[in-house]
Amino acid sequence: MTVPLSASLEDYLEAIFHVIREKGEVRPGDIAERLGVSGASVTGALRSLAGRNLITYTPYGEIGLTSAGRSAAGDVVRRHEVLRDFFVKVLAVEQSHADQAACRMEHSVSRDILEKFVRFVEFIDLCPRGGKLWLEGFSRKCDYGRDHGQCETCVSEAMEKVRKTAVSKEEGKRMKLRDLKPGERGKVSSIGPGTPAVRRMVEMGVTRGTLVEVERVAPLGDPVEIKVMGYHLSLRRDEAEGIEVERI
Amino acid sequence: MKSRLTVALAGNPNSGKTTIFNGLTGARQHVGNYPGVTVERKEGTLRYGDTEMTVVDLPGTYSLTAYSVEELVARNFIIEEKPDVVVDIIDASNLERNLYLAVQLMELGTPLVLCFNMSDMAAAKGLSFDQEKLSRFFGAPIVNTIGHKGEGLKELLARVEEVARRGVQGPVSEIGYGREIEAELKTLVRLLEEENQIPEGYSPRWLALKLLENDREVGALVSSPAIRAQVEKSAKRLRGILGEDPETAIAAGRYGFISGACQEAAVSSVESRHSYSDKIDSVVTNRVLGIPLFLALMFLVFHLTFTVGDPLMGLIETGFGWLGDVVGGLWPEGSGSLLRSLLVDGIIGGVGGVVVFLPNILLLFLAISILEDSGYMARAAFIMDRLMHRIGLHGKSFIPMLIGFGCTVPAIMATRTLENRRDRLTTMMVAPLMSCGARLPIYSLIIPAFFPGNWHAPLLWIIYVTGIVLAILAAKLLRSTVLKGESAPFVMELPPYRMPTLKGVLIHMWERAGIYLKKAGTVILGVSVLLWALTTFPRPSEADTARFDAAREEILAGGHAEEEELLEQVDFREAEAALRHSWAGRIGVMMEPVIRPMGFDWRIGTALIGAFAAKEVFVAQLGIVYSVGEADEDSDSLRDKLRENYSPLAALSIMLFNLVSAPCMATIAVTRRESNSWGWALLQLGGLTVLAWVVSTVVFQGGVLLNLGI
Repeated sequence: MTVPLSASLEDYLEAIFHVIREKGEVRPGDIAERLGVSGASVTGALRSLAGRNLITYTPYGEIGLTSAGRSAAGDVVRRHEVLRDFFVKVLAVEQSHADQAACRMEHSVSRDILEKFVRFVEFIDLCPRGGKLWLEGFSRKCDYGRDHGQCETCVSEAMEKVRKTAVSKEEGKRMKLRDLKPGERGKVSSIGPGTPAVRRMVEMGVTRGTLVEVERVAPLGDPVEIKVMGYHLSLRRDEAEGIEVERI
Repeated sequence: MKSRLTVALAGNPNSGKTTIFNGLTGARQHVGNYPGVTVERKEGTLRYGDTEMTVVDLPGTYSLTAYSVEELVARNFIIEEKPDVVVDIIDASNLERNLYLAVQLMELGTPLVLCFNMSDMAAAKGLSFDQEKLSRFFGAPIVNTIGHKGEGLKELLARVEEVARRGVQGPVSEIGYGREIEAELKTLVRLLEEENQIPEGYSPRWLALKLLENDREVGALVSSPAIRAQVEKSAKRLRGILGEDPETAIAAGRYGFISGACQEAAVSSVESRHSYSDKIDSVVTNRVLGIPLFLALMFLVFHLTFTVGDPLMGLIETGFGWLGDVVGGLWPEGSGSLLRSLLVDGIIGGVGGVVVFLPNILLLFLAISILEDSGYMARAAFIMDRLMHRIGLHGKSFIPMLIGFGCTVPAIMATRTLENRRDRLTTMMVAPLMSCGARLPIYSLIIPAFFPGNWHAPLLWIIYVTGIVLAILAAKLLRSTVLKGESAPFVMELPPYRMPTLKGVLIHMWERAGIYLKKAGTVILGVSVLLWALTTFPRPSEADTARFDAAREEILAGGHAEEEELLEQVDFREAEAALRHSWAGRIGVMMEPVIRPMGFDWRIGTALIGAFAAKEVFVAQLGIVYSVGEADEDSDSLRDKLRENYSPLAALSIMLFNLVSAPCMATIAVTRRESNSWGWALLQLGGLTVLAWVVSTVVFQGGVLLNLGI
């Protein structure tokens, strides 16, 4: 991207992304309704987005995201989700409230800050001194203003956890299905938004919790052949983007 | 009890459905299309006791969503035409995935029989089932069959009749989708009932489920805004709670039901991790060997099609030549009878032109059927996908393109293996740019006539490569304009290798060849007669005829030693004059302003009109316009004439035009038939003609500017 998008254009892009995800197709009316703006401003925004090659748009024609548009929209959506998750999970803010705040903040957060943010949230999740208990402690403090000195038990609990996670870290490792190498096996842990390819994979049995094994890669490097439920399935790496596995 | 039953066969691709269908109906089959789409509809009839059964072979699908035409066609057939029984053919050696379709059929509430096919393979794999239990889970009887041996078909028919007689029995088990989804389903069902939005023949729970699954077809059935709003709300809520799209969660629910059922009722005694199929694959799709093996196999297919086919083609040609002579011999020698000309040159020549491709087509489809039925075709697509995906096509597009080097007609028919319409149309549109065998005589006539020996091979290579490059560019152009959109995902099963059965392969082959003969044949015949008329009418004026007759008499009277030769020359001159006088000749002359920029004159124009019938006719037509009589690609007298009249640059331009323009009318007819629309056929014709004109003009004018080749 050369020129950064304005906040409102980012909102439009985000709306298009969501509507396509929910309905499979998008009309100007859907966008207007979602954002609470007039049809005329939608048309203007669509033209401007099309001008930047982020969407395909002809009046009365189908609106679709280009691959650049999809990645830009994905970017905005991710920023939104990271912020919202932080508000909900860490700060224990109510969902709708968190959404509103995320909506306003998402445009001004730079990529750098966002990366740090993600890492911080992960850090809290993973760090033995952080985690759920620690967060619960924080919300207790918010709710009751209590400040009790139970630090010793807390520390010993944390130490116990360190030992456990050290073991499980060896075993399970989250990664993308596309990065699994031939001969490696994994258990599907999450499935991203339903592109036609992902939807098809799910119907072919790649559901959460299923074991998959990468059998081989085509001579030219793509697609890959995986084994699932005892049969062989081939898929392109890019199309398996949204599927995450725990390597076994 | 009805004495006529409609039975629909459903099942996954590669489940052996076609083998069962062939086994049930034998040769009593009828192939058509579903209205409005290019999905094949196969029907057959059989008698079982007093009952006459019509068996409909539904397209092979993994699921019943609205995302692919095949699935939609299968689903709509079941909902709208209400077959008395649906038989789901299941590959018993791959039970879980195959049961996914069975679960959806069960949810549709249709009378169902489960046919566990390839039960021998399942047994060999160490799988055994508690069929009674499974049968109870699915509320449907289970029959074991071995399709390629025809075992179990009698019992299958008995169960079909039984189910038809008693209908769906008792409460079929319902799949529980978990608390959250069930709650939303309940809300939706209530709303659907309240708003009276349940179309005839649909179950409310199924409707609600499909709405949650974001099914466009079903969404269009429900017009109430309140329901739509509720669906959106429910989907959003579920997405929040479950962390995945509702359709993903619902699919997972179905697989949950299946794995539950299988855990209770299926026993696997050994886990066979490396079957023979894996062993074959480790060689065939090997990183190093994969591509060379693939190319070698393709070469073999080519060889079979065109080398073994050629003598047969020659035989057919001779046969039609003989027939033409016999029919022609009914008239006295030298008779100008119109009827004779129509029969011999128009109809026999035209029909011959169609039938002559038959050996090629039969052999090619024999090879393709074997590759397909054995499971190799999926691997070929797997190997080539990366390359083809780059130019906006699908792995499966490679085979048709390759066949295009032999003959475009079977190449276009071979696009049937592509499921996605956009991918298929793009492949069809660009396949003619692969320089076909019929164009070769043109190159081998012209290249030696104009270019020194060490140029021959590189020039031929350049021409072929030009075709390939243009095909890539054209594919890219089409994919970014009229055929814009995502290409089909490459989520494809690589089925285990299997020994193809003779019966299956032959039926497969004959189906396709029959379609070619029937449909393309009628159009080609019509155009042949039209082209005949163009080159025959208007007939030469009486004055002309008299002039040539006088010339003949003069020679006869003179008593020359080379009498024969001189007479022949008069005949050639007469033929030339007649052609120039005909509509084709006049059109050639009229076209001159248009073809002049490419360096062509009216003679080339006239030959091009003939070349539209088939490219190999081009050489023969040039022979006529240059009065050298019967000409073929080795004719030196024709080469001399050409050298006198054209520059090497114009010669290159002629070859390029023939390379790019539509190969023959059969191609256009087959495109029309395969795309089911004249629009695409005409776009192909027009697009290729315009492209050919542009390429030739640019080359010729560019060459003239640079002072080359004169």
